[in-house]
Amino acid sequence: MNQIDNAYYPYVQANLQRFFPVNEEQSKFLMPYLKVRQFDKKTIILNEGEVEQHLSMVVKGLVRKYVKKSKKDTTLQLATEGHLIDSEISYLRREPSPVIIETIEPSILVSITYDDMQEVLEKMPGANKMGRLLLTAMFMKKDERLYKQLQLSTRERFLEYIQNHPHMLQRVPQKYLASYLNIKPETFSRLKHLIRKQSA
Amino acid sequence: MCTNHTGILNLDLTCRMLAGFQDYFGRYIDLADEDIRLLSGLFETRIYDKKVRIVEMGEVDQYLSYVIKGLLRKYFVRDKEEVITQIIKEGEIVVSSVSYFSGNPSRYVVETIEPTTVVSITYANLEKLFSMGDKWEKMGRLMMADFLVQKEYWLLDNINYSPRQRFFRFIKEQPELLKRVPQKWLASYLNIKPETFSRLKLLAGGNGNGVDSEGKIEKLTR
Repeated sequence: MNQIDNAYYPYVQANLQRFFPVNEEQSKFLMPYLKVRQFDKKTIILNEGEVEQHLSMVVKGLVRKYVKKSKKDTTLQLATEGHLIDSEISYLRREPSPVIIETIEPSILVSITYDDMQEVLEKMPGANKMGRLLLTAMFMKKDERLYKQLQLSTRERFLEYIQNHPHMLQRVPQKYLASYLNIKPETFSRLKHLIRKQSA
Repeated sequence: MCTNHTGILNLDLTCRMLAGFQDYFGRYIDLADEDIRLLSGLFETRIYDKKVRIVEMGEVDQYLSYVIKGLLRKYFVRDKEEVITQIIKEGEIVVSSVSYFSGNPSRYVVETIEPTTVVSITYANLEKLFSMGDKWEKMGRLMMADFLVQKEYWLLDNINYSPRQRFFRFIKEQPELLKRVPQKWLASYLNIKPETFSRLKLLAGGNGNGVDSEGKIEKLTR
């Protein structure tokens, strides 16, 4: 694990600004707490039952969060550049993780440990507000996804996702995408062929 | 704070409200009497009959509410069918959260099941509260963390447990709601087919006795 250097920090800072304003002083305060972690593809970063120590931002690569079941895995999140990923329940409640976090591509993450986060919350002016805004954003995103899963039809879910994330069809193995969208693999293939025909 | 107030008409309501603040917000930060007074000034009491929609789909939810008394449900409509995503009882928070926090139109309806009393805070007043000091920001942060964790649990429960397991977990954790909530709504909330729900209820002997948390029947009473 390396100290974050100038190569990644501007990127992280820019992405944090999407959640809340970060002033110069806070920025300087935060930087020493951030660590760079690099992983090969198909590497388990956090296993089920482990306690999550890191809240991470993907700087490069693609990371998957999923639940392992005897019959099939259920993909809960596909995090690409600029996205945050952690086992929320485990990180926030200090409980064994119910989910697995694994890279799909070789990935670089910028992370803050739980203990360092507590120190930041205690010592940095404005940290509680940042935390609140960050959690609000994460909560709304989760609610949004849940709503789409429940409200949209299979076809609508597929089209909506492909429209908003066209590059993901190339980057993510089809079975993971199908699982993420809660679509049967054979239905997913059919829908994919359908849009190919239409765009041809 | 509720002692020595005699002859006030709404004493019971006031006491419940103050106790509610202590119970709900006091779990996140230490609250002194003056903090409770501050909260009281920012919240307003709202009283509803049963089956009243307090948030309509498409309107912005103006209030985050603590339920003092009563029971509510939150749902959206899919193909003319109501899909219930939350059942909220005394001591819990009810809000069409994304609408409230973002100012966008609500995708959910919030409706009372029983006659209900809530104390509510507008988003403007909540922001005012947060601006009154870092301890309130801390409270807001911890509250949002709970919101997030609860949502994740709900999601995982739906993935990890079968309808049967969801049913038995629910009646073990909230047995009183089996009597208070009409069956079709509970079935919708637990994402269980109504006929399956009836069968499971019969199996549980109507009140869930004799089952463990995994939903295995330990002892059949009939």
